[in-house]
Amino acid sequence: MKCRVCRGPAVVDVRRHNANFCEEHFLKLCRDQVEKAIHDHRMLEPGDRVLVAVSGGKDSLALWDILLQLGYETDGLYLGLGIGDYSSESGRFATGFAKERGLNLEEVDISSEYGFDIPGGSRAARRAPCSACGLTKRHLFDEAARRGSYDALATGHNLDDEAAVLLGNVLRWEHEYLGRQRPVLPAGDGFPKKIKPLVRLGEREMAAYCVLRGIDYMVEECPMAEGNRHLAYKEALNGIEDRSPGTKHSFYFGFQERTSVLFAGAGDSAGRPTRCDRCGAPGNSAVCAFCRLMERAGGRLPAAPEPVPVELGATRSNGQGSATT
Amino acid sequence: MDGPMAVTALLSKLEIPRDTVLVIRDGTLVPGDAMLGPDDHIEIRPVISGGRS
Repeated sequence: MKCRVCRGPAVVDVRRHNANFCEEHFLKLCRDQVEKAIHDHRMLEPGDRVLVAVSGGKDSLALWDILLQLGYETDGLYLGLGIGDYSSESGRFATGFAKERGLNLEEVDISSEYGFDIPGGSRAARRAPCSACGLTKRHLFDEAARRGSYDALATGHNLDDEAAVLLGNVLRWEHEYLGRQRPVLPAGDGFPKKIKPLVRLGEREMAAYCVLRGIDYMVEECPMAEGNRHLAYKEALNGIEDRSPGTKHSFYFGFQERTSVLFAGAGDSAGRPTRCDRCGAPGNSAVCAFCRLMERAGGRLPAAPEPVPVELGATRSNGQGSATT
Repeated sequence: MDGPMAVTALLSKLEIPRDTVLVIRDGTLVPGDAMLGPDDHIEIRPVISGGRS
């Protein structure tokens, strides 16, 4: 196989582009696709400060690497979720990446800071592990972005993640989630701007990017995700993609370009904006979902939390049928 | 493998969809038409992550 750009020896094939690339031009392709996503969806302005949600997996580390190359000012946040060896190991990849490059990575261990872990929280709240994990991550990433006054919170959701979430939301006609399934969610109601700069890249591309850039990442899957619905949706889409390359891209971007407007505003609620009595986070209930989960699991807020200024507006749901690494 | 085999043929034989893995030979990423030999050290690395949040 030859590189589509320079005709040199290719190292990776991207079937949905019907093209092969050498190392240099594949890495350029990845950077260009992120730059295009940022530009097309107005995710960032030059000079913006970005908080990157870092898991130690391929997507978040590749995202951080690319944002740095594109010149953005970035910091990372890693959450230790208390999922046994998986959390310990993924934390080592996150800290190793930051240390090697002299980057600022904040680490929050929820067991020591909040007195519970995801397995315990999941059991106590009778929520699926991925649901308890997602709720916790959203809450703590939002809080950190507010506290640090970042212009945006960037997550490593890639095209495969977003297409699988879209499939799940369509199969159940989750109109609120469909209304919020966008590559960028503007800041408002006390929530930070959230961006997904990897939406134009698949997870195989992100894994290849890490291999070629020499980025060590957590290859093993979270043991608590095994058998979840999201993986079933990915498997179904991969089966279709195998027969018809480009289907995931068409599905996701077709929705964004032609249909998402039909669901615009569906994620907003008419409820009175308020703050959580416990932690001060914005929302539409007296005690936020994170604090309810934490309390059911026997946890507690850190001893002296710093007050976080919250600008309230029309309340919106913070639930996102979404996926991360 | 009994003899040289292309990456795509190996994945097909193992019934692994190409888009779900990377094939790494002796630490180097290789494309679908690369020929693999019996003495090569080959890693078939899954790329799918499944946490939903």
